[in-house]
Amino acid sequence: MPSSLLRQDVLPVAVGYLLLMGALAAGLRLLRRDGGPAGGRREGAPGPAPGRPGPAEIPGPAGIPGPPGIPGPPAAGWARLARRYAGTVLGGYLLLMAVVILYYYGVARVSGPFIVSAFTGCALLIGLSTPVFALASWLDVRRRARRRHQAGG
Amino acid sequence: MAEHPVIGYVVWAVLFGALFAWEGLALSHISGVPTLSDAFRAIMRYPVGRWALFALWLWFGWHIFVRGWHFLLRA
Repeated sequence: MPSSLLRQDVLPVAVGYLLLMGALAAGLRLLRRDGGPAGGRREGAPGPAPGRPGPAEIPGPAGIPGPPGIPGPPAAGWARLARRYAGTVLGGYLLLMAVVILYYYGVARVSGPFIVSAFTGCALLIGLSTPVFALASWLDVRRRARRRHQAGG
Repeated sequence: MAEHPVIGYVVWAVLFGALFAWEGLALSHISGVPTLSDAFRAIMRYPVGRWALFALWLWFGWHIFVRGWHFLLRA
């Protein structure tokens, strides 16, 4: 088997597979640690770990409960949601850039402006998705508030 | 498009097939089999898990939508 095939095809597929399986294995381990297949979220499954609030108990922005099954932002509304979003974006971006740099210098020296494309392309994606996420969050909160208002009277 | 050995495509097909089969088992409420959503939800409880998933999302989006893409009217 040619070394270029190994380096540019087999290795990335193997690494991607290991990363995916590793993430799934970590998820399974966490689920088991929390005592049920759904981590206390599926019907009939045991509740969340002692001392840890379930998703329905975690309010979303403006005190409105988050979507069922999805951990909402902690408590204090939009500021905390924005902080959590910023932390996730920054952490994920830096993590990916670290992996990209390690992959480029350690495994396959891909030709072309690979590193530059990774930095600018991912930043572009974040820049495009942030306003969409903010708008979707705002619409979701508004829709829930309207429903609650209608249900209340 | 570069030509690759068929076995490479078969491996991808098997991997995705296994993923969907596992998800199907989970959605059939077979006890002890969590869905992909359950696994992601568990991972997302922790900051490092959220970073990893966001990095995965970025990587996927970068490859699908950004790499090799040029602005309109660019020479």
